[in-house]
Amino acid sequence: MNVDAANAADGQRDPIVEHIVGNSADVPEGAHIVVEVNGREIGLFNVRGHYYALLNHCFHQNGPVCRGAVSGTLDANAETGWQKVWTREGEIVICPWHALEFSILTGECLAFPDKRVPRFPVKVEDGFIKLTV
Amino acid sequence: MTQTKTDNTLTGRAPKKILDNMLVLDADVHAHETPGSLAPYCAMPHRKSLEILERTPRRYLDVPGFAPITPPYPPIPDAGGERRNTVTSAAQMRQDLDDLGVDVGVIFPDHFLLHPAIRPTDYAVALAHAYNHWLVEEWLSNSEDDGLRGVVLAPHHDPTAAAAEIRRYASHKRVAGVFLPTSCVEPLWGNRRYDPVYEAAQETNLPVLFHSVTAFHTAFPFNLYCFDTAFGAHTVAHPFALVANLVSLLESGVPARFPNLKIAFTEGGIAWVPWIMLRLDKEYAERRREVPWLKERPSHYIKRMFFATQPIEEPEHMKDMATYLTLFDGENNVMFASDWPHHDFDHPNKVLQIPVSDPIRRKLMGENALRLFGERARGPKRKGAQQSRTGAGMDTRPGTGNGSVDGTQAGAT
Repeated sequence: MNVDAANAADGQRDPIVEHIVGNSADVPEGAHIVVEVNGREIGLFNVRGHYYALLNHCFHQNGPVCRGAVSGTLDANAETGWQKVWTREGEIVICPWHALEFSILTGECLAFPDKRVPRFPVKVEDGFIKLTV
Repeated sequence: MTQTKTDNTLTGRAPKKILDNMLVLDADVHAHETPGSLAPYCAMPHRKSLEILERTPRRYLDVPGFAPITPPYPPIPDAGGERRNTVTSAAQMRQDLDDLGVDVGVIFPDHFLLHPAIRPTDYAVALAHAYNHWLVEEWLSNSEDDGLRGVVLAPHHDPTAAAAEIRRYASHKRVAGVFLPTSCVEPLWGNRRYDPVYEAAQETNLPVLFHSVTAFHTAFPFNLYCFDTAFGAHTVAHPFALVANLVSLLESGVPARFPNLKIAFTEGGIAWVPWIMLRLDKEYAERRREVPWLKERPSHYIKRMFFATQPIEEPEHMKDMATYLTLFDGENNVMFASDWPHHDFDHPNKVLQIPVSDPIRRKLMGENALRLFGERARGPKRKGAQQSRTGAGMDTRPGTGNGSVDGTQAGAT
């Protein structure tokens, strides 16, 4: 899924309000934190200098997905000759409860592609992380 | 090394669908016994061995000479969810159960799920004796009833010693049953050499609980070493270990010969039950004269046994699980279990998603387990039972690093 399209789609359900949720220094490249905005826990991720925001809620058993480790993952397909390859380093968050993998970039669940973690638009201006919820 | 992560990812996520005054009795949670923690409870000379093991670096739930899983495949990077996966004190367990929405938790061991894989009988019996003593002293002795209950480990290596352990602790108010490990057991638990165990359990009115684990062993209950992955091994390890022992019990007529013995199975999910039940009935029609002690078709005995939910199957439509329950009188013999804090623990949320009536939901979440364990399992309502999730404010803890602290995969059990 197109990242910008996912951002736009997920943010539309509520009145759009921009929140300053921290300084960019709080989330250096490769790091992630969880913030609370209007009673919602939202994970902020910095992947190679780009910021992403995901709802801290796993569809599976309601686990705190954004508290999990960030990692790459293993894949195999015809292009790899059906050999395992390590890929998408730094783009995958793993739910700490049951290890379901999600793309930080799109919110997509790797095991069940019809499931996604909702995303929120996020940007950095003047060193502040601004989250639209 | 032990897990050092203290982050409690359960906080603020208690289930919202718990009914008023609904007992939530968790039939399977795990305490983390280590060689060092058991050493003071272990007789010489085996205490020396535990002291050596305590000084030796160890992997998560895979300890040669103590809990030898010995997986034949490599660790997979980041395969486990990053969270604390051990519970090291009664106070910590109580807090975790509060966060899970659980009133009463029945404690099993961590490492000694593998207890039958230990070879020397004298050492195995000494470890079981030490574990049971430690369990009662460190986990079941809070001055106030904290809702923690435990099951004593019966060493299959020596059924007479196992029976003695059962009788030793039978009068303890917080000992709720007997743990019979199912993986690597030879012979299987239906063998008549174990009759002293069942005599003791029936006499003391303690249920026996068969609990499975992934263990690599070149013999029955399954050739797990033939699998390349935990995906394969773990999938079959648990239900096959339970199936093998259930069939063995019926083969020798344990439920007929010990009619007041209460029997339960944990950690295989529940979908295997109707399958093996129907297959046994089919075999019985043809081969009854091999098992003449069975006076009813096998399914009649099985429907009087108890089955813990974890890992509850998760079909695309959870109503399928409601259908499954109807196939083996699950309404009256299925009991919630979380398996906390293991890799595939079930939050009560998932079992609560099975679309059944409220009275059935109450049975599944606690009342059936109370029938198995008896009144001794009834405990106080958990603290904060009516408390909804609270805002935690900004949590600036950075996500760190990789999987398990020791780099092994958390899917081993």
